[in-house]
Formats: sequence, structure tokens, C-alpha cells
Amino acid sequence: MSRINSVVITELFSKSGDVVVRPIKINQNDLVVHLFCVDGLINQALFDEAVFRSLKFDPYLEKCQTERQMMDYLLEGGAYHIFTSEETDYDKLLKSVLSGVVALIFDGEEKAIVYDIRAFEKRSIQEPTDENVMKGSKDSFIEVLRMNTALVRRRIRSEYLVVEQMSVGRVSKTDLALLYVSNIADMNTVNKIRDKINDIDIDNLSTPAFIEEYLIDNKYSIFPQLMYTQRPDRVSANLSDGRVALIVDGIPYAYILPCQLPMLMQSPDDYANHFLIGSSLRIIRYISMIVTLFLPAFYIAATTYQSQMLPVQLALSTQVAKQNVPFSSASEVLGLLISFEILIEAGLRLPTAVGTTMSILGGLVVGQAAVSANLISPAVVVIVALAGIAGFMMPNQDLSSAVRLSRFILAVLAAVAGFFGLAIGLIILITHLCSLDNYNTAYMSPFVDVERRNIRDTLFRFPTRYFLKRPDDIAPVNKTKRRNRGDKEDEI
Amino acid sequence: MKFKWLLLLAIFCFLFLSGCTHDMNRREIDEINFIHVMGIDYSEGNFIITVVYSSGSGADKEGGGSGKEEVSKGQGVTPYDAYVDLKLKNKKSISIANTGYFIIGERACSKGINTCIDFLSRDETTKMDSLIFVTKGVDAAEFIEDSMEEEQIIHEDLQAVEQKQKELVTRNDNTLINILNEIENEKSSVIIPYLITEEKAFLLKGYAVFDNLVLVDYLDMETSSGVNFFKNIVREFPIYLEDDVFLSILYTRSKVKSELDNKQIKVVINVDFETMVKEVLSDESIFNKKELDRLTIKQNEYIIDIMRKATNYSIVNGRDILQIARLIENQHTSKWSDYEENWEELISEIQYEFVVNSKISKSFIFGKER
Repeated sequence: MSRINSVVITELFSKSGDVVVRPIKINQNDLVVHLFCVDGLINQALFDEAVFRSLKFDPYLEKCQTERQMMDYLLEGGAYHIFTSEETDYDKLLKSVLSGVVALIFDGEEKAIVYDIRAFEKRSIQEPTDENVMKGSKDSFIEVLRMNTALVRRRIRSEYLVVEQMSVGRVSKTDLALLYVSNIADMNTVNKIRDKINDIDIDNLSTPAFIEEYLIDNKYSIFPQLMYTQRPDRVSANLSDGRVALIVDGIPYAYILPCQLPMLMQSPDDYANHFLIGSSLRIIRYISMIVTLFLPAFYIAATTYQSQMLPVQLALSTQVAKQNVPFSSASEVLGLLISFEILIEAGLRLPTAVGTTMSILGGLVVGQAAVSANLISPAVVVIVALAGIAGFMMPNQDLSSAVRLSRFILAVLAAVAGFFGLAIGLIILITHLCSLDNYNTAYMSPFVDVERRNIRDTLFRFPTRYFLKRPDDIAPVNKTKRRNRGDKEDEI
Repeated sequence: MKFKWLLLLAIFCFLFLSGCTHDMNRREIDEINFIHVMGIDYSEGNFIITVVYSSGSGADKEGGGSGKEEVSKGQGVTPYDAYVDLKLKNKKSISIANTGYFIIGERACSKGINTCIDFLSRDETTKMDSLIFVTKGVDAAEFIEDSMEEEQIIHEDLQAVEQKQKELVTRNDNTLINILNEIENEKSSVIIPYLITEEKAFLLKGYAVFDNLVLVDYLDMETSSGVNFFKNIVREFPIYLEDDVFLSILYTRSKVKSELDNKQIKVVINVDFETMVKEVLSDESIFNKKELDRLTIKQNEYIIDIMRKATNYSIVNGRDILQIARLIENQHTSKWSDYEENWEELISEIQYEFVVNSKISKSFIFGKER
């Protein structure tokens, strides 16, 4: 292990123009300290004011005979900055400085004093783009870890809220924070998550998918097994339920664990509205999921194999719509589904203005032309459009993507074996979802729970007075969530 | 985990193998002619199947519509043979999966209702709630062709008949599943509504009666209504009293109970109903207690007369059109075997007792009370 020494550090960063290692002469006793920082990551004005001015003009420092005396003085408040500490570990020093901390190296002592005066260009807190609500808070996470933890802390002013700081990535050394409420969360789950994070051995933790893959057990499942959110209020609500949040520096989302499927179907709006309105919206969301998942497959099965499933008038109008179209129903639906995905992908890559034009051109003009040219039937356009739009009703984009991929699989199965194939696909899908385990909680929980009370916040959103207890598998110790007036302790 | 993958592999193999060896009835929807209406007739030793289907041609693709209706025929020694013949003759494959109406001609009915519909009951695609009608005096083919000549859309006309039927009764008992159920009960007569044409419209006039599954008679409208009261399916029924008052039944409930006493069968019919005054042509006010009581008694007598027509028909002809056999079998399961053997003789000896309660409800009077 290397010693803390300015010569070693200067040599280490000799080719990096942004790393500053600069000697500062303190007094007439020839005491010299070395400033070690990264240009662009520090607040220079604050450094000059709080640290540099003290170093040059403090009369007490003039009198210091040794580096130790100088360090002690500076640590006791000689420099006017609150976040000051002594660093003796070389690796930690490097990590701190590279994340924006300023260090004063004392070669003789082989130690450094670090000042946390990080300041770098960052996005301001804005409205959440993915989870915007009509009623409710309008702030969202940004790319700065500390700011994100502060947003959560503002909402949970409990001494039990723990923000465990960790670091991952051999090269990137990305900071991340594990958040939980220590008197509610299941410590076994917390320990398990912590172990998993410590086991992450990766050079650069730059994208969300990397951390997601490390944290989930079933890596081959396309269904999201951890929930992400842009909203601090959502994180705080889940922390209060006993779940654990993970915030990664550089990623403007928080991950919430353990995650169950019904959580991904919930929107913050459900709780901002009257419970009946919230429940209606939720039911529509579930219906949309069924529509997007099964409608294309149902159409293929009904028009290719079991046409008797269709009511008379619907069968006749579908038949008329299909006249003179040279392709099979399966080819039509699968082709159009792929075209739909191409449109979405192209729309994401293009600038907004061009994207809109392209959507109109692709969706309306080409669609209409294809129908007129008898390349596809109008019924298929309606089916695919309906399935596509319904797919975007899901509040979680990962779930939406998973459902979109599943509908392809179901459509192929329906093309191979009609409703029989569709039934097989459904069985496989349900079996798969029920087999997923997420930190000792069933992914399909509470639909598969024996505890009936947990169902109160799934398909329907019951009034808040029914949310008396936390789920057993999430918060096994501290179960009481709220008390109604007049409730006795043992009634809750 | 290994088991899971093996299971998935087995399922997929099963699917693909079945896909390779058989087409799993794969047929695009535009390659099928959906039959809307099927007529079944008998002529000169052969059964004739006449079907009406939409060809799809002539319909506006984007505007909808079911296209031009076409008629096709098949002939054979049995109804199924005729259906096979029809399939062979047709350009596209045909399907009875969406057939909503089966019309059976008078002559085919005389060969036995079970003969006519047996092949339908064995087809896995047949809609069990499709309706069966009998055509009075004519063959089903003639019935269909006449309406086609007059450019009527026959399945829409039959839909209108179905709607009218639903306005008068609470359920349609002439569904395929119900008729098959009635055929099972050998002791009772099967009754199926019959159609007649009148001024380019199809009309339901009453029930055709099948004895030993062969068409034997047609009931008039009043007798058929009496049967409906027994079945407790009356939704709306007009009552015209001789003193210029027209009433309409709003609600009715019938309970039929059988009593067995030393080979003597007594059937008690309890009918509760409520009517509303629909028309008053006399100048005298009827909205006083005395008059309303008098009208109530008269309307009770009217309904009893209607029901008595049905019971009299049953007694005189010895045909169990009221399904009394099933009633006794259900209500006196242990004793039924004593009556079962001589049932045909016993039908004519059944005593019927009518208990009728009714009331006349308000009639939304505007202006003068009369």
C-alpha cells in the first residue's frame, strides 16, 4: 500500500491535466503543504475563502513549528469549513479527491486533511418526466447522490432512517446509498442486499441495467424484479412500508426492493385521488395489461383457428375486412407489431420535432396507405394500435417492455396452435410469474398471499383507514402502519 | 430448474409436432363461409339443407357490413348427408359455428325433430343457444328463397323475430340446447315456435307440437300463451276486457305444483300478476275501488281462460305440452315410477286447479280521471 505523499501522487497523475497537486508555503518555518484536488469538481471560491485564506493569513499558523501542530489546528477549526477530516489511508484519499474533495497533503506526517467542498455542474430538481402526477409533489431525483438522499431525508425525519454509503466499481468507484428505516425493515433483507452490493465486481457501474442484474435472483426473467422511481415521495412511502431503497450516484432513479408485480401497476396518482377514482384507474390499468398481452394473440387464434369464438357480427365484419389481403392473419399481426416497435424505437432516437412528424407519417400515412393497398386489414390496424396504446398504460416502463415482449411470444404461440397455444402461453406465463422470488417475497404477492388484508392495495385501492398493517414478509417485526381512532393495541 | 426447462421443451415439442402432423384446423377467416341461417327440409326421400351465408363481396371494407347474402343447397338421404353434399358443392369451406337460426320445414318435421337436429348436436362448433323455428305450411327452403327474392336480409329478419319474442317472454325456450333437453324427455311433447310469413314479415304465431318427436299440430296464439303462463316466462301480455278496457301485464309469476293421490294427479297453478291500464274507451271512470275490484276479477278470469285452453288441449289430445311429466318426476321422484308406465292415459285425467291473484297498478293519468 502506498504512503500519502505528494511526490507519489504527482507522479501518479502526471499525465492528467485536471488533477491539481500544488505546493503551498505556509510560513517562514518552511512548512509546505500540497493541495490535491480535481479542477472542476470543487467550489473554488469557497476553498479560497474558507481554506486558502486561513492557510496564508492565519497568525497562529505562522507560529506552527511542525506539520502535526498545523494539522491539529486546522482540524480544530483553523480553517472555516465544517466538513473537515483527517485521512490516513492512501486509497481512501485518492477516492475522496477523485469524487471532488479537496486534500491538503502533509508529506512529513504522511497524512492529509480533506475538505468536502464539492461543487460541480448539475441539473436542478425538476418535475418527474416518467411519473408526473396531477396532484402531489413535483420534485424528482437528479444525478447527484447526496441531493437525492437529502430529498428522501426531507420526507422521513426519523432517526431510524439509515443512509448507508457504499462504493462500487473498480474503476468508476461509483457512490451509492442504501436507505432503510431500521426499526421497520427486515434486517435479513437489508443484509442480503448489502452483501449483494459488496459482491458486485465490475469496473464501471454506469448504467442501471448493471446494478439491476446484480441485485435480482432470476436474471433470465424479462419481468422487472426491482422497482425504480424518480419520485422521492414514492421512495419514502416504500421505506415506511419496510422496503429498502438504493440510490446510485449518476442515476436519477431510486431502486426499491423487494419488488412485487402489483407495485409496478401502482401509480402515485392512485393515492392522490379519491379511492374509488384511484381504484378505477388501477382496474383500467390491469385491463390494459390483459388487452395488450392477449389481444393480438386472441385475434390470430380467432381468425385462424377458432373463428367460432367470435360473435356472428364481429366474425362477419372481420371477414369482410380481411378480404383481398394476401397475408395470413398471423403475418399481418406480427408484421404490424414489429412495425409498431420500429416506430417507437425510431421515435426515441430522433429529435422531438422530427419524431412527431415521423410518427404521423409512419402511423397514419403509411398505415392508411397499407390498408388501401390491401396489404393489411383495418381490423389488424385497430387491434395492434389498441394493444400498443394499452401497453403504454403501465406506469413502469420495464414492465411495459416485458409485456410487449410477452405479447410477441403469445402471438407466435397463437399462430402455431390457436387458442391451445395461447392457453399454453398463459400457463407458462403464470407459472413463471408465480415462480419468481424476490428477497423471500413472492413476486405475485399479495395475489398469492394467504393474508387477505394485503389485497387491499392491489386491484382496488381501499380507503387509507384499511391500511393498518404492513405486509408480513416485508416488515415482519414492526407491522403496525396506522391506527384508527379508538382502536386498541391488540385490534391492530 | 432442469425440470422446468424439460417441461417447457416437452410443451414446445408437443406443439410443434402437432403443428407438423396436422394443421389443427387452421383456416383463415376469409376462407370460410359463415352460415347465418340453415333450413332443413324433406322432399321425395331426401333431406335438403338450404343455407344462407355472407360472401363478403360487395361490402365496404372500411365501412363494415357483412356483404351480399348468398344461398346454397345440399341434398342427401340424411340431414348430415345433405350437409356433406353442401360442403362439397361450396367453393369455400363452410361453418355452422356462427349459425344463429335453424329453420325446419313442415315436411322435415314430420320425419322427426331428432332426425333433423341430431347432426347439429354432434358438431363441436354449433352454438347451443342458436334458435330453432318451424315453418308452418311451407318448406324452409321456400321460406328462405321467398324472402331472398324480396331482397330481405333473412338473418336480420330473424333477429327481429327473436327480439319480439324477448319482448313477450322472459327467455327463449327454442334454443338448440333446450330442444335437445326436451327431446330427452320421452313422456312430454316437444313444442317449438312456428313462423309464418305475412306481408314480407316473419311472424311468430304459436307453438308447433311434436308427439313422439313428430310434428302433429300447431297451437293457436292463445293456447300458446297459456303454455307460456305454465312455463312462467310471460314478460308482457295484453288483456282486452269486453267493457272497453285494455290492460297489459307488467309482471307475472307462476308456480306449478303437483299432487298425487291414488293414481289421481292434481296440478295446482298459482299465478300472480300485475297489470297496467293501457286504454279506456268507455266514458265511465274505472279508477274507484269497486270498479277496480270488478276489473281485477275479470282479468283473473281472462288469464284462467287462457291457461284453461292449454290444459284443455292437453287433456283432449293426450299430449303433455305443459311438461307435467317432468314436473311430477321432479316433485315426486319416488312415486314417479308408478305413473310413468301409464302416463299417456293419465295425461287426459289430470285435474287442473287455478289460483290467480292480480292487481291493477297506476296508469299515469294526465288530466281527467276516467
